[in-house]
Order: sequence, then structure tokens, then C-alpha cells
Amino acid sequence: MALLKREDWYDLARTTSWTPSYVSEEVLFPEEMSGSRGIPMQVWETYDEPYKTSYPEYVSIQREKDAGTYSVKAALERAAFVDKADPGWVSTMIAHYGAIPLGEYLASIGEARMARFSKAPGNRNMAVFGMMDENRHTQLQLFFPHANIKRGRQWDWAHKALRTNEWAAVAARSLFDDITTARDAISTAIMLTFAFETGFTNMQFLGLAADAAETGDHTFASLISSIQTDESRHSQQGGPALKILIENGKQAEAQQLVDVAIWRSWKLFSVLTGPIMDYYTPVAGRKLSFKEFMLEWIVGQFERQLLDMGLEKPWYWDILMRDLDSTHHGMHLGVWFWRRTVWWNPAAGVTPEDREWLEAKYPGWNKNWGRCWDVITDNLLNGREALTHPETLPLICHMCNLPIACTPGDGWDGQDWPLEHAGRLYHFGSEVDRWCFEINPDQYKGHQTIVDRFLAGLILPPNLKGALKYMGLAPSEQGQDAHGYAWIEKFRAAKAAAA
Amino acid sequence: MSKFDALLKNNRVGPVMRAGEVAEAVKEAAVLDNPDKRVTIEDMNAYLRISAEGELILTRATLEECLGRPFKMQELEVNLSSFAGQIATGSDRFRFYFKHSL
Repeated sequence: MALLKREDWYDLARTTSWTPSYVSEEVLFPEEMSGSRGIPMQVWETYDEPYKTSYPEYVSIQREKDAGTYSVKAALERAAFVDKADPGWVSTMIAHYGAIPLGEYLASIGEARMARFSKAPGNRNMAVFGMMDENRHTQLQLFFPHANIKRGRQWDWAHKALRTNEWAAVAARSLFDDITTARDAISTAIMLTFAFETGFTNMQFLGLAADAAETGDHTFASLISSIQTDESRHSQQGGPALKILIENGKQAEAQQLVDVAIWRSWKLFSVLTGPIMDYYTPVAGRKLSFKEFMLEWIVGQFERQLLDMGLEKPWYWDILMRDLDSTHHGMHLGVWFWRRTVWWNPAAGVTPEDREWLEAKYPGWNKNWGRCWDVITDNLLNGREALTHPETLPLICHMCNLPIACTPGDGWDGQDWPLEHAGRLYHFGSEVDRWCFEINPDQYKGHQTIVDRFLAGLILPPNLKGALKYMGLAPSEQGQDAHGYAWIEKFRAAKAAAA
Repeated sequence: MSKFDALLKNNRVGPVMRAGEVAEAVKEAAVLDNPDKRVTIEDMNAYLRISAEGELILTRATLEECLGRPFKMQELEVNLSSFAGQIATGSDRFRFYFKHSL
């Protein structure tokens, strides 16, 4: 018997709306969960997801994906790549595994809420698959690092990181909560699936896969590029939701949701992805710079798609383009400086050849960032290691929960962007962070950054020891320089040769 | 126009494939299925960006020919990590496109 093609039955099969008789539509789809914005049910029923699948297809395809990914892991495990890899690359993996898997689980919850509360049947149907996708991503990215726990406790932070009050975990949770579990279904479709997944996950799961393949880590490359095939499908839930909002007079609101999600995602990626691409990955393994990957995936691909959907560039476009040259360098310097407070071992990434590469990719790097690293290098060369650790707290942004980073040296542009709201003074790292707060203060007010908590007496004893305890970092988990300062030896040799 | 705006205002659409057998078939099929287009391949080792101006179509028939075996269009998903442009999916073809040319 010939089977009907999917397109011959799909629209009918997934049109699962009905007229409720036991409860009202408003009770069935509470506005704060559904986010229909007064647009009638029959309009939401026109939602047409462009990347379709059916349950039998989904099961068969996902089985094939998993078979491939687990096969690569099994085949390469005996090669013990991790034991031979550059410590900077090992840190890349440990940072990734801590930041991502439970964020994926949060995304699974966000997808489940769309599956239940979206008024668009197509959205509900695709979100069921999205929910299972994200569960797969969680399980894969907990299982793969688990094999390495015998190599060190930092690997266990795949499970642990997002359950702690470690500062980077607080920043990651703040973003994921905002776009995933603290919004209505339509906002989630736009902020999580469209902005975050169509845009930024390509950076972490494909850009980084290119670096992984160059570095020889084919297990990691296979894993994360396979995960992105799921994202590629379920991220398409946001587009039709945007279309409905635009066609029903809600373009400005749609634009605002996208703009907030892009900015907040950018800031998290500037501390997570920027340093690992431009500093931790060995020079020979860097396929492109972080900025070049941003230009490929975010400017050339994602923002271009956004224009095709009928939206505009974000109002802060010029600021974002400017910051591609600076923000992540500041974040990297800060992470390395406060290295004991992270669950991975930051690689300095500033050997002479690294610095040559950085200057080529970011002209002027030596004049600005290089001068800070000159001081650090000099201190290490002269046995003053203690001076390469901080004695003060950074100023933390009340939006991104990351240090307020600026360009040092000749390009100095340090600035706080304060705002007084309801009697409390907030600090922001940029005018865009402050704007995100100003347009929706109820979403963010009252939150205490890690420094607020310190000053409020929640971190005891009020010193580094107390802070590390508060963040859940046991001594063997606290970050150290990934290469044990071996990178300064080239400078020592050059100095000796010059003497 | 800034260099960033110039980069933004492109009309390149098409799949980004995980490297492997299917990606090689897609490279070949993209040329055969879009005879009036100049198909560009950017090989990034872990992934291949295959693109054309404005619209790129991949058909099941051509992919089966290139692979030398039966192929369901949905199987493309196993290796379709991303794509530029918008997408329309069906049992016999996938279409990547922009509605508005810039």
C-alpha cells in the first residue's frame, strides 16, 4: 500500500485545537503563559512551521543521529585524546560542559511550556520534538564528560555548575531563565528558539566544532555538530510566531524581544565562547577568530535572516559591531585574573605567537590588552605570582551578571551606566544592558549580583575563602593557569637571549 | 555603508552540512539542482557551507543519484547543522530562500 506523503496529511493531523466547553479559552491558555497578546485563536492556527517532521520520522532520524555520535565516542575513546590534548583545549571542554548541559535542560522546560501553552498548534507540535531534543542534548553532554571524571573533579561540573552560585553559573542561569522559563510561550519561541538558537548556538556548536576538528578532537566535533542539527529544526519555531506578531501590529514588541535576547546572548558568549576561541584553543587549531565567527554566523547569517523576516537591525548595532573588537578580551583578562573562582583552568593564551595572532586579528591588541599582559608576564618572570591575583571585587553588571569590562591602555573607555530604580542604584556594563532593564524592570529588579550578596553579608567569611565556599568550589576544582605558567618561559628565553 | 552592513547585505542561502558522505552528495546535488546558479562551497573541516544567490533547491531524486542509494529528504536532517536563509521542507525537496533580495 502506498503511503501518503507527509505534506498530504500533516496540516490536518497537527491542527489539534478544539473549542473548550468545560473551561474558557482564557483558563485553558492563561495569557501570562500563552502570550497571545490579544491575537485571536484562529490567527494562531495559521502558524505554519517551515521545518516539519512527524513522530515516526523524528524517532528514526534521532536514532540515526545518536548511533553516529555514540559510535564516534566509542571508536575514539581508546585513543585517550584528552590525555594528549593541549591543556587549553581541555579547559575549553570543561568550561563548555559546565555551562551548557543543564541550560539545555532548562530549554527542555521552555519547549514543554510552548508545547502546552502556545495557542499555535504548529508551535505546540514542534515544541514536543524540541523538548525531546533538549533532553537529548542534556543527556549527551552529561554522559560524554562523565567518562573524564577519573581525570579530575572539574569534569563533574557538567552536573554541578548550574546548581551552584559560582559567578559564571549565575550569569548563565540569568540569561537562560530570562529567555526560557520566565516568559510566555510566544516570547520563548522568539527569544529562545529564534534569537538564541537560530543565532548564537551556531557559534558554540559549529564554530567551536570547526576548532575541535582542527585540534583533532573529533569526538567533541561530532557531538556538538550533531546537537546543532536538532537546533536547526526546532529553532524554526520562532519565525512563524514573528510573522504573526508583525502581521497583527506587534512589530515593535517583536523587535524588542529579539533585541533583548541578542544582546543578552552576546554578553554571555563574550565570556564563554570568546576566550575559548581566541585564547584557550591552541593557535594552530583556531579555524577563525571569535570575531570572524561572529561575523559569519551572527551578522552574515542570523541578522540577514532577521531582515528577511521583516525586522530591523537592533538599535544598538553600531555598539555591538564596535564591541566585537573588545568585550571578550576584557572578559578573558578578568576570568584569568579571578581564575580561582571558575571551575576550569583558564589558559592565558598570550605566548609570543598567540600575541602575534591576536594583533593580526585585532589590530591594536598589543597597545591595549597587551600592556596588561606585559605586567602579568613581568610579575611571573620575577617571582611575583601573588600579584597576578586580585585583591578586590569587580563591579558586576546588574543585567548580564558579568564584570563591567572595558578597554585598557590607550583605548581606555571604562564607564559604569548607572540607573536608580525604586530607590535602588543599579550598575550596568553598557547602555544596552541598562536599556534591557529600563524597558522591563519588573523582570529584573531585586536581583542581587554576587558582589551585592558579598556586601549584604551573605558570603561568610567575607573574603576569598568565603566566596569560594559560597560558589561551591573545592580546592581541587578551583581554576589555575591551564599551563602552569609554562608560557612565560618563551619570554624568559627571549629576555636571556637579549641580555 | 560600513563593512559590517556590506557583510549583512548578502543574499547567500543554503545548507551548512556536517562533513561526510551526505555533505559530499549535497555539494554535487546543489550544482545539478540549480543549473542557473553559481554554487559556492566553504569547507570549514567540521562543516561545509554550501550556498547560492537568493534560492537553492535540493531534490530527493538528485540526492539519490549522487548517493547511489535510496534517500528520504528528512534524512538530510541528520547532517543539516544549520542553514542560511529561510527553509521550506517537503518529501521531495528542500528549498532555501530569501523573500527579499538586498
